[in-house]
Amino acid sequence: MTIMTRRTALIASASLLAMPSLARAQGAPIHLGTLTPLTGAGGPYGPVMANCVKSVITEVNGVGGVLGRQVQLTSEDDQTNPEAGLRAARKLIDIDRVAAIMGTWASSVTTAVAPLCWENKTFLTTVSGADSITALPHNGWLIRTQPNTTLQGRKFGEYAVELGGKKMFFMAPQTPFTQSQLANMKPPIEAAGGSIELLIYDAAKPSLRTEVDQAMRARPDIIILGGYTPDTTVLLRDIFRAGYRGKLLAYAYSVNQQMIGSLPHDVTEGIYTLAPSPAQGSGGFDRVKRIVGNDNPDPYTCQIYDQVNLVLMAMAVGNDATGQGIHDNIRRVSQGGGDKVDNVMDGLRAIAAGKKVDYDGASGPCDFTDAGDITDCKFRYDQVRGGQQTLIRIA
Amino acid sequence: MIEALLQALINGVIAGTILAVPALGFTAIFAVLNYPNFAIGALATVGAYAGWVGNTVFGLPMLGALPLAFGVAGLAGLAVQSLAVKPLEASGALMMAIASLAAGLVLENILRFGFGNDLRGFELPLLRDWRIGEFRIGPQQLENFGLALACMALLWAFLRFSRTGRAMRAVADNRDLALLRGVDPVRVALVTVIVGAGLAGMGGMLVGLDTSVDPLTGTRLVLSIFAAAVLGGLGSIPGAVAGAIAIGMAEELSVIVFNPAYRLVVGFVVILIVLTLRPAGLFGTRAS
Repeated sequence: MTIMTRRTALIASASLLAMPSLARAQGAPIHLGTLTPLTGAGGPYGPVMANCVKSVITEVNGVGGVLGRQVQLTSEDDQTNPEAGLRAARKLIDIDRVAAIMGTWASSVTTAVAPLCWENKTFLTTVSGADSITALPHNGWLIRTQPNTTLQGRKFGEYAVELGGKKMFFMAPQTPFTQSQLANMKPPIEAAGGSIELLIYDAAKPSLRTEVDQAMRARPDIIILGGYTPDTTVLLRDIFRAGYRGKLLAYAYSVNQQMIGSLPHDVTEGIYTLAPSPAQGSGGFDRVKRIVGNDNPDPYTCQIYDQVNLVLMAMAVGNDATGQGIHDNIRRVSQGGGDKVDNVMDGLRAIAAGKKVDYDGASGPCDFTDAGDITDCKFRYDQVRGGQQTLIRIA
Repeated sequence: MIEALLQALINGVIAGTILAVPALGFTAIFAVLNYPNFAIGALATVGAYAGWVGNTVFGLPMLGALPLAFGVAGLAGLAVQSLAVKPLEASGALMMAIASLAAGLVLENILRFGFGNDLRGFELPLLRDWRIGEFRIGPQQLENFGLALACMALLWAFLRFSRTGRAMRAVADNRDLALLRGVDPVRVALVTVIVGAGLAGMGGMLVGLDTSVDPLTGTRLVLSIFAAAVLGGLGSIPGAVAGAIAIGMAEELSVIVFNPAYRLVVGFVVILIVLTLRPAGLFGTRAS
């Protein structure tokens, strides 16, 4: 008969208690989620974004994953709708137990989902621009790779002045960023002796003739379009029919190549667009081009590519695959000097070699303030010429 | 200000006339089958896509694409009725309405699966509006207005002069009496669903002609269609037309008076007022 000594019993008990974590370390996958608009107004972007993340994770899993664990991705559809987005986020957090949710697109969706994330210690990375998002009391539980509307609004105002406008008319649906966009457009326009009026319309309306009549009565020399693709399509048709001959300035995410292809050239010709620019020519940008099979990947796909790279490297550098681990370590890989990397594979190798990394990605340098905003971003200025978005400059 | 009001009224009458086509389909189905078919929005989208395919793939002119929109949406409506709604007939109107809502979501996503989320435009030149003094009106608007009126005239002739149309009206007026007179209820239901869904499809195509086609084209109209039918009196054919024109005008006029962001409120307020003051609607005979 074998008598178990006190020491043997303690070792055996400790081993038993440690077994679940050992099992996890050896095999339990790390769960991550994307919450992008696969349908609705953001539908042209969400599927490409989700596929980009899938591609990065497949590559990482091919070399053994992160911290010796495979990464399992769950992609959900926020339908460009806060209510649907909230339901999908609940599923990702409660059922899939993801450590991070990546890629929320519409500001209304991000605003709805963010509190759920920080309450459940799930890290959130977003491409939404509304100022109000990083002003939420998130305590470091979110970052965004999109410049906020303070910066975007100012750029729109400055560009409208540069285009020679004096009387601007801003037409937009009700979104969390409409008012702050207007507020930030005003100073450069008013400083140049111009004026701007706002009309908020219902994005679900099949015809906006009466709204366009309102705009025409103001006799603007530039109309600034602040909507998403479906409602801006309706608006552009009605503006054309109304015989408007002035200039049009819009977000590049609404007047995109898909919309330009769906409308007669007369309607879209000459429209100026403005958008945060990806870091064209960078290594990260070239990788996204290869992933999506397109020489001109959209800014949101570039941003979510950066987000998944940063999340995976943060887990590795902190040796912690939880939301808390990402929260605590993401700035250790995004900024602060070290080996410059533009993809997670190089980043993981450098981290394993004990080096400090500083990620510069496909969308830009990806350095974040304490509030979660990016500190630097270039803008891309295009004009529709002959049915194609034609680059004017990146600045 | 007077010019703005009159222009909004012109816009409203035209928008309302186009809205009347799917509203007629909705109310016809309600009159004969006694349940609100909320798949009507998705059926309008089916019609819009069918018309778009007819126009852009087969090169059909608008007058050729409209019957295609009617036919394909009619068949889709029949599928919704047979597969989703009819099995729940015994459970009452509420269950049938919920089944139609679910079937509409399925249809919408089938379209999304097949066509993607891209916006589709008909191969039509986009023309500048004609200006008459202070007012403007679009050639496409006028053509759509004419097509909507023609659809309504055809429906009226069908209901007035054809044997099947008279049978539909008989079942809508008094189902038991119609059955006693030998009307075949299964056939009448079948024809009603095809005609109702087909009208929704034509309405969807008319909206798509003026704007663009995407998987949510019809869904955006559902509240306005429902409000038009409730205002006119659920089940009343002339009521649906009057209700749709009234809703169209109210929605456009509200843009002048209120912040345009509150346009959707118009539909809800109309439903609330009608259900409170006159549940049967303007032309209805039964409170439903």
